[in-house]
Amino acid sequence: MASPVSVYNSNALDTHISSSSRESLKMELLADVSLLPGEERIIDKETIYICPFSGAVKGKVLITNYRLYFKSLDPDLTLDVPLGAIGRVEKMGGASSRGENSYGLDITCKDMRNLRFALKQEGHSRRDIFELIFKYAFPLSHGLPLFAYVTQEKYGESGWDIYKPIEEFRRQGLPNNKWRITFINKNYELCDTYPTVLAVPFKSKEEDLRRVAAFRSRGRIPVLSWIHRENQAVIARCSQPLVGMSGKRNKDDERYLDVIREANDTSKLTIFDARPSVNAVANKATGGGYEGDEYQNAELVFLDIQNIHVMRESLKKLKDIVYPNVEDSHWLSSLESTHWLEHVKLVLSGAIQVADKVSSGQSVVVHCSDGWDRTAQLTSLAMLMLDSHYRTLRGFQVLIEKEWISFGHKFASRIGHGDKNHADQDRSPIFVQFIDCVWQMTKQFPTAFEFNERLLLTILDHLYSCCFGTFLYNCESARDQHEVRLKTVSLWSLVNSKMEMYLNPFYTPESGRVLYPVASMRHLELWVTYYIRWNPRIRQQQQSPVEQRYKELLALRDEYLKKLEELQLSDSSPSSRLANTPNSSSSTSSTPPQQYTQLQTPL
Amino acid sequence: MEFSEHIKTANVEDVVLRQPLHPPGRGTLCITGHHLLFSDREEGSCRQVLLLLRNIDAIEKSGVCRLSGSSGTITIKCKDLRVLQLDIPGMEECLNIARSIETLSCLDSMSELYPFFYRPSSASLRDQWGLSSLERHYSQMKELHDRWRLSTVNRDFSVCPSYPQAVIVPKSTDDDMLEKVAKFRQGGRFPVLCYYHKKNGMVIMRSSQPLTGANRKHCREDEQLLQAVIDGSDKGYIIDTRSSQQALQARMTGGGLESKSCYSSWKRLQRQMERGKALQESLIKLVEACGEESNNMDRWLSKLENSKWLSHVQTALSTAGLLAECVERDGHSVLVHGSEGTDSTLLISTLAQLIMDPSCRTLEGFLTLLEREWVQAGHPFQQRCAHSAHSHARLQQESPVFLLLLDCVWQLWRQFPLALGFSEALLLRLATEAYASDYGTFLGNNQQERCALGVKENTHCLFQALLRPRERDCYSNPLYEHTELAIWPSVYPQSLQLWRGFFLRWTPQTHHLEEAQEEIRNMVIEWGKLALSSCPASTRRSEDVQNM
Repeated sequence: MASPVSVYNSNALDTHISSSSRESLKMELLADVSLLPGEERIIDKETIYICPFSGAVKGKVLITNYRLYFKSLDPDLTLDVPLGAIGRVEKMGGASSRGENSYGLDITCKDMRNLRFALKQEGHSRRDIFELIFKYAFPLSHGLPLFAYVTQEKYGESGWDIYKPIEEFRRQGLPNNKWRITFINKNYELCDTYPTVLAVPFKSKEEDLRRVAAFRSRGRIPVLSWIHRENQAVIARCSQPLVGMSGKRNKDDERYLDVIREANDTSKLTIFDARPSVNAVANKATGGGYEGDEYQNAELVFLDIQNIHVMRESLKKLKDIVYPNVEDSHWLSSLESTHWLEHVKLVLSGAIQVADKVSSGQSVVVHCSDGWDRTAQLTSLAMLMLDSHYRTLRGFQVLIEKEWISFGHKFASRIGHGDKNHADQDRSPIFVQFIDCVWQMTKQFPTAFEFNERLLLTILDHLYSCCFGTFLYNCESARDQHEVRLKTVSLWSLVNSKMEMYLNPFYTPESGRVLYPVASMRHLELWVTYYIRWNPRIRQQQQSPVEQRYKELLALRDEYLKKLEELQLSDSSPSSRLANTPNSSSSTSSTPPQQYTQLQTPL
Repeated sequence: MEFSEHIKTANVEDVVLRQPLHPPGRGTLCITGHHLLFSDREEGSCRQVLLLLRNIDAIEKSGVCRLSGSSGTITIKCKDLRVLQLDIPGMEECLNIARSIETLSCLDSMSELYPFFYRPSSASLRDQWGLSSLERHYSQMKELHDRWRLSTVNRDFSVCPSYPQAVIVPKSTDDDMLEKVAKFRQGGRFPVLCYYHKKNGMVIMRSSQPLTGANRKHCREDEQLLQAVIDGSDKGYIIDTRSSQQALQARMTGGGLESKSCYSSWKRLQRQMERGKALQESLIKLVEACGEESNNMDRWLSKLENSKWLSHVQTALSTAGLLAECVERDGHSVLVHGSEGTDSTLLISTLAQLIMDPSCRTLEGFLTLLEREWVQAGHPFQQRCAHSAHSHARLQQESPVFLLLLDCVWQLWRQFPLALGFSEALLLRLATEAYASDYGTFLGNNQQERCALGVKENTHCLFQALLRPRERDCYSNPLYEHTELAIWPSVYPQSLQLWRGFFLRWTPQTHHLEEAQEEIRNMVIEWGKLALSSCPASTRRSEDVQNM
C-alpha cells in the first residue's frame, strides 16, 4: 500500500476465473484460436513466455503458417503476432545454461517489440520449434510462398479497384492542353521502377523522355504527381540528375524541366532536393548530384532530410527507450536524443514548403537520390495538405497506392517481407515515418480527416503481416511478375468491407482548404499509442468506451444527415425548421455536403 | 481613492497595437482606473480591445528618437500569457501610460479592484452569490449525520482565520475541543472533513501540520479527534505532502508531524510535493521556453523537462492517485496536510475527489468542488496569484498552485474524454479569472477577508455567471457520459502532455485547435437536437447531450 502508486487500472483487468472453469479452459487453451481460411497449424507447445511486464508466464504457443499465438490463463494473457512481423529469431542460452528461463528463443519484431520464450532443455524440443518459426517467418528464404498467396480470405469488395491511374488523372483534370498521359513505360522499358501510366508535359515527345531518362538515376524522370485545379501548378517527382564528379550537363533534361515550368506560365520552377546539401554534393562521387546553375529559371532548395540509415537508427533509439522498459526518469530529454520527432518535423516542414509553393502558383519538382523514399514522403504529404480528396477514407488509399506503391517505394527492401536477413542495410522505417506525419496532421486538424487513428494502426500492422498483397514487392513490374493482383487480396478489401470502424465521426468535408500543419517541436507529439502500445501502462487507458461513444456519434450523424435530406425534399423554402435553428444561417437549398458545412458556423 | 491621480495621460491617438492572432491595428488608446482600452480607427473596422489592467504582469518600455519626433513602445506581458505591443507617438505620453499601467495594475487595496465596480446589465447584486455552502452541503449529505456534525465554532473566524464559518467534524468532538485542537495546528487549521466516500463510508480529512515543535508537544484533543474519525476501523492514513526530512525539520520552527507513539492507529505516508517558490520558478522557466522562437536545434524537449512543470503535474496526480487508492481500494480514511494546508493539501484532495466521485465531474459539480475546496477552504488566491510568469517583481507569496490544479484536471480530461462534463474552455477561463477578474469570486485570501470587504454584497459571482445558459453551452463537454467508475489517471511521463491550450494559447495552431473543438461541440449538439426532435429511438442519447 505504501509503495508509490504507479499503475492504475480501473476495471475489467481484475477478472477472476473460478478454478473449475479454469481446468476446462486449460484443456482448450488453444481451441478458441480462430484461424484464417488457408491458415494451418504447424506446431504447438507448452512454453513460458517471458513477459517484460508481468514476468514469466506459463502457457501454450501455437505456430501456424501465418501467426505465432500464445495463450496463458494465469494471468490471462494472449499474444497474437503475425509471423510477418518477426524480423529475427535467435536461440538464447545453451545446453549448459543454468539460470531459470535462460534457455529458449528470443524473437525480435519489426513493430517495436521483442518476444522471449523459455523452453525445456531436454530433447530437441527447441530445435524443432526454432526451425519451424524460422521457416515460416521467413518463407522467401526457404522457397515458400508469402502467406498472402496462401490465404483464402474473401471480401465483398476488391481493394485492387480502388486506384485506377487514368481515373485519378481524370479527377485531377488531366489530360489537358499542357499535360498528356503516356504509355511509354507500358513494358517498364523506360523505367522499371515506375508505373506504366505517366503524366508528362504535352510538349515533350517520347524520345525526349528517353533522353531525360538517361540522365536521371534509374531512369526515374520527372513526371506529374498532382496538378492544382485553379492555378495549374504541379508537383512533379523524379530522382537525382546524373551529374557526377565532372559536372555533366544534359540539355534535354534542362529543357524538360523548363517545359514543366512553362506549362503554367510562371517565371520560376522550384526544385526541392530533400537531402541535406552536403549529402547531395557527396552523391556526385557516385555519379549523382543536383541541378546546378545551368538550369535556368529554376531555384534549388535543400530540405535537409536525412537518409534511410539515419532514420533507421533514430527509430532504433526510440525503441530502446520505450521497449521493454520505458525510460521514465528523463523521458523528454531521452526522447529528444533519439531525434525521431526532429526528423518528423523536417519531413513535415519540407512538405509544407512544397504545398505552399504549389498553392502560390509555382510548379515544383521534388527529388532525393532515387526518388522513392523522401520524395514519396514529401509529395504524398504535400498532396494530403493540398487536396481534401486524399483526406477521405478512399482518397487516402489512392494516395498510398499512387505515391508509394505505384511509384516504387521499395517496400520489400525497406520492410524485408519474408526475408531472414535482418541486418540488411536497405531496411528503413520510411513509410512508418510517413504514417506518423499523417497522424500528427490528424491531431492538429481533428475534423479534416474522414479516417481515424485505427486506420493508421491497421495499415502499419499489415505493412508487416504479409496477409495482403498491398505492400509486397518493390515496384509495379515486380508485382506484375508475381501476379499480386491476381493471387493476393488487397488490404483495402478488408478496410472497405468494414469502413465504419475506420471513420472519424467529427469529419467535416471542406474541399479547397489547404491544411498547413505546424511543424514545430512545440506542436508535435510522440505517437504513444503506436510506439508504446505494447506496454500495458499505455494500453490500459480506457479506449473502448470512447470508441463505443464515437460509434454512437457516427450513427447519430448519419441519422442527422438523413433527416436533413428528408427535410430538404419535403420543404425547400428557406424558412424550413432547420434554417430557424440558431446556427444554420442561410437557406437549405444546396447539396447535402455543403449544408453540412454550414452547421459549423460557430454559435 | 482617485484613480485619476495616477493617470497623467488618459488618451493617445494614433497608437499601433500588435497582438497575437490579429493584424496590427492603429487607433486610440485610453487608460481608465481599471482598463486599457484600444479602439481601432481603421476604415471599415471598429475593433476594440479591452484589457483589465490587473491582467498585466509586466511591462517593458523602449523609445526611439527621430527627427520627426520621438515615440515609444510598450510591451505588455499579461498574466494569461498574452504579449501585446503598443507603439505610442510622443515619448512623454508613452512614459505616462507606462507609469499608469505600472501603478494601476498592482493596486494593493482590494476594495479598489475592478470587481467592486463591475456592474453588468445582465446581473443584479441581489442574485444568489455562490453555488453552495458548507451548511447546505452538510444538510444534503444525510449519510453523514450519524457520525458527523456541523460546527460553527469558527463563526467569527476567531478559531481559524482561513476557515469558513462552518465546518464538518466528528460528532464526538465538541467546540471546546476544536478550539484546543486549533491551537495545536498551524494557522488554526484543525482537521475537518472534506470528502465522504459513499461507497464505503471512508473520508478525506484535511488540516495543517501539528505544532509539535522541538519539544515534541502533543495534544490529546487532536489525537481524540483523529481517533473519532477512524472509529470502528483498524487504521487510517496520513498523507503528508512533505518529505520526511522536511517534516522533521519543521519541528525546529514550531511545526512537525504526527508521531507514531501518539497516533498509533495512523500510518504516515510522506509524499514530497513542490510548493511556493519552486513551483513559481518552474512556471517561469516553462513560459520562457514556450515563448522562445522555435528553430531547428532549440532543444525544446530538454527545456520542457528542465522546467520540471510536467514532473510537478505527475507528482500531484500520483499523490492524488495514492490518496484515492487509500480511500477507494484500500478502504481507509485519510488525513491530508503539508505545512499550512492551503496549497498542496487542497490540490490533492480536489484531484482525488475528481478521480473517485462522479458528482464532481459535471460542470456544476466541478465548480461547486472548486468553491468548497479552494475558495471556502482558504486557498490564498490574492497572494498566490498576485503575479504570474512574466513579472519582474520580487517573488513574495506567488505560487501557481491553482494553475497546477487546472493543468492536472486537463490531463484527466484528456485521458478520459467522456468522463468530465466540462470543456477545456472552462479550464482556460478559470486560469485567466484566478489572476484577473471582473468577478469577486477569487478576491481575497479567505472567507474572513471576503466578509470584511463585503464581496458577497458588492461583487458578482463568477461561478454563477459560468452556469448561465449561454456560458453553460460553451463550457460543457458534449461527449460527456456519466460513469460511476473511478477514473484512474495514468501518471507516466509518456501519458502526460504539455497543456498547449494554455501555455501555447496565443499561437495560431492552438487557436485553430480551439476552433476545431468548438466545431465538434456544435456538431454534436446539433445532431442531438435533431435526433431528439423527431426520433424516439435516440432520445436517450439526446438527453445526455442536453444535460451536459
